[in-house]
This record gives sequence, structure tokens and C-alpha cells, in this order.
Amino acid sequence: MSLWLTLAVNSVALGGLLFLLSSGFSLIFGLMRIPNLMHGSFFMLGAYLGVALLARGINFWIAALASAAAMALIGGLIERVLLRRLEGQVLPQVLLTLGFAFIIADVCLMLWTGDPWQPATPDHLRGAVQVAGLYFPLYRLVVVAVAVAIAIALWLLVDWTRLGAMIRAGVDDAPIARVVGIRVSQLFTLVFALGAALAGFGGVMGAPYLSVYPGLDFEMLPLALIVVILGGVGSLLGALVGSFLIGFLYNFGTALLPDLAYVILFLPMVLILVLRPQGLFGKVTT
Amino acid sequence: MAPDALSLADVDAFYGDGQVLHKVSFSVGEGRLLGLIGRNGAGKTTCMNVAVGLLSPRAGRVEMFGVDVARTAPEEIAQHGVALVPQGRRVFKSLSVRENLSVAARKSKDVRSFWTIDTVFDMFPRLKERHNQPAALLSGGEQQMLAIGRALMGNPRLLLMDEPSEGLAPQIVADVGRTIARLKADGLSIVLVEQNIKLTLDLADDIVVLNSGSVAFAGPSTEIKMDDAVIARHLGVH
Repeated sequence: MSLWLTLAVNSVALGGLLFLLSSGFSLIFGLMRIPNLMHGSFFMLGAYLGVALLARGINFWIAALASAAAMALIGGLIERVLLRRLEGQVLPQVLLTLGFAFIIADVCLMLWTGDPWQPATPDHLRGAVQVAGLYFPLYRLVVVAVAVAIAIALWLLVDWTRLGAMIRAGVDDAPIARVVGIRVSQLFTLVFALGAALAGFGGVMGAPYLSVYPGLDFEMLPLALIVVILGGVGSLLGALVGSFLIGFLYNFGTALLPDLAYVILFLPMVLILVLRPQGLFGKVTT
Repeated sequence: MAPDALSLADVDAFYGDGQVLHKVSFSVGEGRLLGLIGRNGAGKTTCMNVAVGLLSPRAGRVEMFGVDVARTAPEEIAQHGVALVPQGRRVFKSLSVRENLSVAARKSKDVRSFWTIDTVFDMFPRLKERHNQPAALLSGGEQQMLAIGRALMGNPRLLLMDEPSEGLAPQIVADVGRTIARLKADGLSIVLVEQNIKLTLDLADDIVVLNSGSVAFAGPSTEIKMDDAVIARHLGVH
């Protein structure tokens, strides 16, 4: 496969992973205005848990779902017990989530040591698929397919169900949503748990080719931030487009202009912040 | 004797350190329409916010149908059969008209009046025509209809309306007035907060005049209609 095609496939696969990470981050920030700096930690902890389950011979998909469930539980508890007390207080929320990010990083270091862990690609997802004479790595295509399937499921949930309409009502005007009887508080917990679950699931999906290592959390967090700023806070379409955009910028930038990789990555974010602060698909907030 | 639909007793309310309501007391009998009037900043909207739980009073009692709700969350208060048409309409702008109505749907224990999307559309045919459009694209009058329809979807026993005529053309104000009269005739208890004195006096059974966060007058609307001096003194209009 040519370099360009390899880079393109890697970019799309990274875009898929970034969507799993950033869609929850975007929903959490859009609905609850919580800048959740432990979102990368959910990705890493989910990945470590997945690795631990895979090492015990558990099926890959069951391990991914179990990790997602564990992240949903941990995320939901942190939101319900701690973040709830800091409603509307951005700086304390930043400090609390940052503190938890460090705690999770230390716990992971203690449990899984500083060595990188790279689980084997599941047997049934190994190999390559031949399309038009070109070979594509099956696993990366599966990652993209899963991300697209989850994007469609989230879109159906948010745009086509009453529950989704309630979530959007909460994003539009939380106090009035509460007055009409919507239990915004429970929706907050649900969305936070869902976001954590998606991040954990993404961590397991990414583990076979990113590997899992100390520092993965703070490598992924800025990428999620850039995606959400580019795409627009609270916008699933924005998260999807932003994820693939960043996937391409990251892979091509690192490969072609390694010295300027971060410039290529962060410059669009800076431009968007200056020229269109609401992001490509975000709404202007008053 | 049936408890009042809404009763505020000696309510003190603050925004930060600034006291907005001073020992405010008034009540709305079941099936009655109370007009709450006063100058800008008199505390009318604050009374609504206290009633629906958006602002907790620092002192005093707030009862709905005999239940103390003074420190209850808004979503719990809504379960008591209370709905608000907020000032400035505040429809959910990214939701379609139909979604605005569906998220507020709640069945009533009182089978007498059962509002559904269809019955709201019967009342406001214009909304039916635009049912799939985002609320942000509606005109001011249509948004007001939607705000009223959304409140009705909760099948309330008490409807709080905060300046429903604000910013609307006279013809639309007349439509809103007819809608309120119809809801009152259906037996709904209503609190109408208004700057439009004529509309309020035409519709209300009782009037409360707020002045600088205190009740300056409370009594039947017939009484205030007979005494222009009350309006002149507290509202500065003749």
C-alpha cells in the first residue's frame, strides 16, 4: 500500500477512535458545561481494564463492553456524588476533574506498571481486506465501522427519540426544561455516564494498535479538546467531522512535517477560536 | 374548603444579597384568574420564579394545592400540576414545534382536561402547520402560542403566565387574551403577570399590585376598576 493510502487509512481509523472519545466529551460539555479533564483518563482506564480482561481470555467485544460499563459506573458516580456539588462553578470543576485525572493515572501506574501493554488484535479481526487490488487492515476498518455505527446510534438517540429531545431541551435552556418537568439532573448523570462509557469503549478499541501506556490519557485529552472546539460544543455532527479532520491532520502532520506536527494540529483550533468561536457546527450561545 | 391553587405567605426572596421580595403574601383560589401587575422591577417575575422553584425563598411559605413547595426542585413542583409560560417565551429553539410539545407531555390525575399534541394543535392550528420546523424559526406570536401549548402539555391545574403579551402585535395580543379567557372558562387556575393593564383587568377575577417587592394592593379586580387612584399611585398610569 502506498504511503498516502496507509496514512489515509490510519487517519480514518484514528478519526473513528477520536469520535468515540470526543462525542461524549462534547455532549458532556454541551449539556452540562463541565470541562471534563478526566475524559482522557476514562479512555486510558477503559483500555487498561480491557487489556486486563483480554489477558484472562475474555472475548474482545465482551471486554470492550465490560470496560464501557465500568467507566459508565465510575463516571456516573463521580458526577452524582462530586461534580453535582459544583454545578456552575467552572474552576472547581476543572480542578476536580484534573485531580481525578492525576489520581487515575497514578492508580493505573500502580496496577499496570509503566510498561506499555499492547493486546493482540482479536483473531477474527486480523488480516487484510482486498478492495480494488489494494489491501486494507481489517481491524482498522472495523474500528471505523464501529465508530460510524455508534455515530448513527447516537444521532438516532439524540435527534429522533423523546429522550434525545429532552437532552437537547436541557442543552437549550436547563432551568425551563426543569420547570416543564424534565429531570435534567438525571439526564446529566446519564449523559456523563454515556460519555465515560464511550471513552472507555474507545480505549479498548484503540488498544491493539495504539497500545496502552502511562501518559495516554493526556495525549488523548488535547485531541478531544481540539475536536470539540473545531466541531462545536454539543454537536454530534461537529464531533464526527472534527474527529476525522483531526485524524487526518495528526497522521499526515506527524508523517510529513514532524517538526510542525503540533502547529498543524493546534493552528486550526486557534483560527476557529478567533474566527468562529462556536465551532463549525456549534450554536452561538448567548 | 378546597386549598388555594397557589399561596405565598410572607415570602422574602433575594438575588445574591439584594432583597427583591419583602414579606409578599397572596393567594389564588382554584379556578380563579389572578392578575399580578406592577412596574418593571417590582418583583412580578421573581414571584413566578419562586412559585416554580427556580428561586428558593429565604423566608415564608409557598403552597400549591395545600402542599408546601418552598424549597422543592422545579421538576418536582411540575408534578403538582403547575406549568409556566415564561417571560420572553423561552421555547426550546433547537427543537421542532412537535418536540417542544412532546418533551413537556405529562398525564394528569385530573381526567377532565387532557391536553395532547392533537388538542394543542386544535387550539393553535398555526402550530400544526409548522409542526416540523425548529422553534427558532417561528414568529414571536407563534413562539408565544408554542410556549402556551408547551405549558398545557403538562395538563396543569395551575398555569402561571409571565407577560404573555410582551412584544406582540395588538392583533396577536387579542388572540392571546381570547386563549387565556378560554382556559379560564375551562376551569384552569391562572396567574397572569402583565404590563398590559387593560388586558389584565379584562380577564382577572383578582388583582395583586406589587410595588418595590411588596404587595401594595390585593383585592377583586372590580375594586381596582372602580378606583383609578390605585393604578395611578402604584403603576404611574391613568
